[in-house]
This record gives sequence, structure tokens and C-alpha cells, in this order.
Amino acid sequence: MQRIVATLIKEVQLLLKDRTGFVILFVMPVLLVLIMTLIQNQAYKSLNEAGVPVLFINFDNDSLGTAIERGFEQNPICKLQVYHPDSTANFEERVAFAKKEVLQGTYLVALIVPPGASQMLREDVERMMDGFMNGDSLVVEEKPLEQIHIEIITDPVARKSFVMAITSGLRELVASVKTRVLFQIMTQKMSSLIGADTSLELPESDFFVFNESAAVSDSQPGLIPNATQHNVPAWAIFSIFFMVLPLASSMINERITGMHARMMTFPGSYLSIISGKIIAYIIIANIQFLLVISMGKFVLPLLGMPMLHLGDQWLALVALTFSVSLAAVSYGLMVGSIFNTQQQSAVFGGISILILSALGGIWVPLNIMPATMQQIANISPLNWALKGYYEIFIRGGGWLQIKWEVMKLVLFFAGNLLFAAYFQKLKRN
Amino acid sequence: MILPPIITVSQLYKRYPSSATDALKGIDLEVGHGEIFGLLGPNAAGKTTFFSILCGLVKPTSGTVYIDGKSIENDMEAIKKKMGVVPQDIALYPTLSGRDNLLFFGRMYGLKPSELKPRVDALLDLFGFDENRNQAVNKYSGGMKRRINLLGGMLHEPNILLLDEPTVGVDVQSRRAMMEHLKDWNENKESTIIYTSHHMEQAQQFCHKVAIVDEGIIVAKGKPNELIKEHDCNSLEEVFIKLTGKKLRD
Ligand SMILES: Nc1ncnc2c1ncn2[C@@H]1O[C@H](COP(=O)(O)OP(=O)(O)OP(=O)(O)O)[C@@H](O)[C@H]1O
Ligand SMILES: [Mg+2]
Repeated sequence: MQRIVATLIKEVQLLLKDRTGFVILFVMPVLLVLIMTLIQNQAYKSLNEAGVPVLFINFDNDSLGTAIERGFEQNPICKLQVYHPDSTANFEERVAFAKKEVLQGTYLVALIVPPGASQMLREDVERMMDGFMNGDSLVVEEKPLEQIHIEIITDPVARKSFVMAITSGLRELVASVKTRVLFQIMTQKMSSLIGADTSLELPESDFFVFNESAAVSDSQPGLIPNATQHNVPAWAIFSIFFMVLPLASSMINERITGMHARMMTFPGSYLSIISGKIIAYIIIANIQFLLVISMGKFVLPLLGMPMLHLGDQWLALVALTFSVSLAAVSYGLMVGSIFNTQQQSAVFGGISILILSALGGIWVPLNIMPATMQQIANISPLNWALKGYYEIFIRGGGWLQIKWEVMKLVLFFAGNLLFAAYFQKLKRN
Repeated sequence: MILPPIITVSQLYKRYPSSATDALKGIDLEVGHGEIFGLLGPNAAGKTTFFSILCGLVKPTSGTVYIDGKSIENDMEAIKKKMGVVPQDIALYPTLSGRDNLLFFGRMYGLKPSELKPRVDALLDLFGFDENRNQAVNKYSGGMKRRINLLGGMLHEPNILLLDEPTVGVDVQSRRAMMEHLKDWNENKESTIIYTSHHMEQAQQFCHKVAIVDEGIIVAKGKPNELIKEHDCNSLEEVFIKLTGKKLRD
């Protein structure tokens, strides 16, 4: 026990003297999380709680325009600004105005429904009905719905997935209006055929219910992935794993200075020497984690970015963070055991963490990556960790939801230790 | 009462895996309790290899070593507790101060915190350190590093002290102080010292007994004065040259 304390004190002293190591362990994480969140915050804004600013210019002022307006007002991802130009307003002028607003970034998307759109839709449907009843199905294709030009103007930086959500939402709204019109016309025709006065109306509520909010925990409504929720855990994980550099370097240093051999002449097993180092770096990893988490909790909100939500599964959070630190420390031990020079270990350690982090969805969130990438990500321990934190922070998950990730990380730890022990043995002979 | 030898080595062979020849070729040696024993030999004679086997860093190819009645094969842990090792190459944490290095060594040997600090400071005083004890070792002169390197091995007052060229690069004043201290220590603590050196005059004065090794074999052993008489020489250095020749070693 005393020997573990001795190595612990020694590691702390060494680290305090090692400016580069100190910067890598404690300064870099703070800067990374700050910079990356700032950069990604803009992109993420398109999905956060406040909603995306959407400009809606309704020249129609009839059933179609109203339906679209209502539809988007109910959509939680949109913050709708509606204009009802009067009949004297110039359509082209308004389109130009909308373009300007979008370019300036006031709105991410502008929708402009042309004058008389509902009327055109009705005529369309009526013609379609007539043609259909006359047995002439060709008419249907002759005058397609696309004749109604609804202008959609998007900011080029807007995410494609978001633009697609808007257009598909629009299409569904138009379809629902079309269905209603069809229903009305049909009942009209029917009643005129039967000669009865029926004023059947479809219920106001739509056939289509849009529910586009992200699948988040019910216990924490309104918790939607945003720049903070992704970047804080992501860069905490990255920084913890980046300890491979100072850790491997400290091991190699001990071999170069002869301290490793000297310690082997001390009583007590090698395990007791190395466990002091392991504990020291586990403590460091947890300090790093707390540091980055407090950035998300206290500093990012001051800079106008969303505040980090930690969820309420503290036990799961502790278990996950502990297993992440085990995984990272063991990786450092392994790299430190394989290589003989600082340079080799720094190059291999640094590059391998960069690759594993890119694969693991640290830099670019996996949900906007192609499916094959999401598959490949499964090999990265950084991804296991990230999935775990997503589960706890975003979905409110607990131990049951993260247990597999924790187990994988612990297995990774054990595997690395075996490798490290093997290479240590190889070196001794 | 005559104590049995504290170290008994018989037929000790060592061949490094990467090497085609034996570094040690059948060493037989006994070191008595409380002796200062000198292991003298030209470069590459196998002195450091011998020490590495005694302190458990290197496994012998064959042969037996008993230290204080315990075999290095089975009882290394017990042996390590009684042994202090001062390596030939300085082995310290360069960025830590001399004092912090020594405190670390003391803790690793299980010294109580209450006795550790006074002891470290007393030794640093004795070995001529002032405020510089709190400076990083990589700012020390070669001799200062040597002194810390030596103190690191004897801080825990071991029964057996292995010194591999402890005074290389140390000035006359410091060397004298170091040897005086070791001599006092040997007398007062009744501890055994085995030491290697290329400094024959020092060995002649300092050692109760010496063994001269060359190319992995012991070519002579005994009390310095007896060896000088036996080989009809004037000094240990002459004996050494007579026995090991003038050829340069690799
Ligand atoms: N790790 C090793 N691997 C292979 N050969 C080694 C190793 N260590 C030492 N040797 C060889 O063993 C022989 C004895 O070396 P050793 O270091 O024991 O000599 P020494 O007497 O301590 O020399 P010096 O006075 O120069 O310190 C040399 O030929 C050396 O090349
Ligand atoms: Mg040597």
C-alpha cells in the first residue's frame, strides 16, 4: 500500500514538472471542447429546442396556405414567421426579399406559397375527378400538382437532412390538403348525383400527424441532441484517451533513465509499482472528465451555447467514466510497453487516437454519417464510450442501457493489460 | 562465533540470449558477513552482469547463488528487502529534485514518513548538499548526481550493499567523503558491501578482500596485501596488470 502511495506521489510530482504533459492532459481538453462546440453550435442550431427560423410568406390565404402554415407551426423543429401580403404585393419582389433574408442568415429556410394556390389545387383535383369519372385516366398525368410553384429558399449551410425534412413535410401537407379537397369535391358530386344536401367535411385534424421531435427520454422532455450534448462527452473521451501520450512517455522515460530497472530491485512486485501509475492516471482521467463536464455545465452557457444536461443516472455515469479511464490507461500502458523511444510512442499513440476518434464519431456525430461508417465505428473504443454518454446524457438511460458498452471497455482494458504484460516480459528477456 | 558467508556463489554462468559467448564462465565466490568486498576487472569482465544476477534483474543461465542463506531463485523477495543497489548508470528521475528522488526511494522501501524526512536531510547534509537539494537532478553536476545515486541505494540501511562503480566522475574531496562514510557505515551497521571499481588504489585501501575477474572468470581473490605479496608486486594495480594483461577490452 505504501508503495502505491509512493508511486502515486511520484507520478503527481513528475506530472507537475512536465509542462507538455500537463498541457495535453488539462489545457487541450478545455480548448478542444470550447472550440469544437462553438464551431458546431451553428450547424446544430438547426435541430435544437428553439427551432429553426423559417420565413413563411402566404400569398394564398386559402385552405392550402393555411394548412401549410398550421402544419409548420405545429412542427417543433420550426420557428415560423408568417407574412400575409395583401393583394397589391408583388410576388417576385417578395421572393427577392425572402432570398435576401435567408442569405443574411435571419432565416434558414423561406417558403412562399403563390397567390391562388388553393384554387389551382381545387381545379386540379376537380379535373382529375372529372377525367376519372369519364374513364380517362390520362388526364391525371397531364396536369400534375407540381404546377403550383411553392418557392423553397434555403441557406446553403443548412443541413441537407433538415431541408429534406422541410420539403417532405411540405409534400405531406399538400397531399393532406389535396385529400381533403378531393373528399369535399367527391361528396359534392355525390350529393348532386343523389340529390341530397350533404355538407360532409373532413375533421379539422389532419390525417397526417407530424412527430419529428427526436426520440428522447420522456423524463426529460425537450432534451434534444445539440452541439453541447455531443461535443462535451466527445472531447472528454478524446482527451482521456489522449493520455496515451504522457503515460507512454513516462513509461519509456523510466526505462531510458534506468529507473525501471532500479525499481525492479526494490522489494515488492512489479504490479505494485505499476498499479500506482495506473491509479494516478485513473485519477487524472476523472479530473479531465470533471473539467470538460464543468465546461459544458458552466462555461459554454456563458458563451451563448446550450447548457449540458447530465441526466440523472449518476451511478451509470460513474461506472461508464471509470471504465473509460481504465480503457484509456491500459491503452497508454500497452503503447508504453511496445515502443522503445518517445518519438515512436508519440507518433503511434497520437495517430492511433486520431484515427479511432474519427472512426468513433468524435469529430462528426455518427448519426449524420453513412450507414457503413456507423458499422465501422463499432470497432472504436471511443465510440463505445460516446454511445454510453449519449445514452445517459440524451436518452436518460441508466446502467441497463450502457452495460454492454461498459463491459466492452473493461474487456479492452483487460486485453491491453495482457498485451502490455507480454511486451514487458519480452523486453526483460 | 564464526558466521557463515553472507553470499555464496557457485558455478555461476550467464549467457545473454543475443550473445554467442558467456559473460560469466563459472564464478565461485564467498563473501563474509560485514566484509567490504571489491570486484575488480577490466571493461566487459562481467562485473555488472554479476551484480544484476545478485539483485534479481538478470536470471543466471546456470549455477547457484545464496544470499543470507536464501536462494535467489526462490527467495528473491526476502533478499531484496535486505539489499541496497547502486547502479553503474545513474538511475534517478531527472526532473525531480535530489531530495524528492530520495524520498521516493525511502517510501518504496517502506520507511516510515516520520523517520524518512530527517534521515534524508541528514544524509544530504553529510554529502554536502545545501539548498540545491531541492533543485531538479538534471541541473546537477555529474558528481552531485553520483552522490544522490549512491544515497538512493543506502537510504534504507540495507544489510548488503551492491555498489557498481559508485565514485566515477566524483572529485577527490567528495570521493573521500563518500568512502569515509561507507567505511563508517560498514563498521557501525555491520553491513556487507560489495563494490566494483577501476580505481585500484581506492580498492586497495577500502576493501577487506578483492576478487579480480577477467572475461567472466575469477583470476585471483584474497586480501589485497596478501595478493600483492603473493604476486611479488608493489600495489594492487600491478597485480591487476600482471593478471589481466595490457590488452584493451571491448
Ligand atoms: N543486456 C546484454 N545483452 C547482451 N550482452 C550483454 C548485456 N549486458 C552485458 N553484455 C555483455 O556481457 C559482457 C559483460 O558485460 P558487463 O556489463 O557485465 O561488464 P562490466 O564488467 O560491468 O564492464 P564495465 O567495467 O565496462 O562496466 C560484455 O561482453 C557485454 O557486452
Ligand atoms: Mg559494469
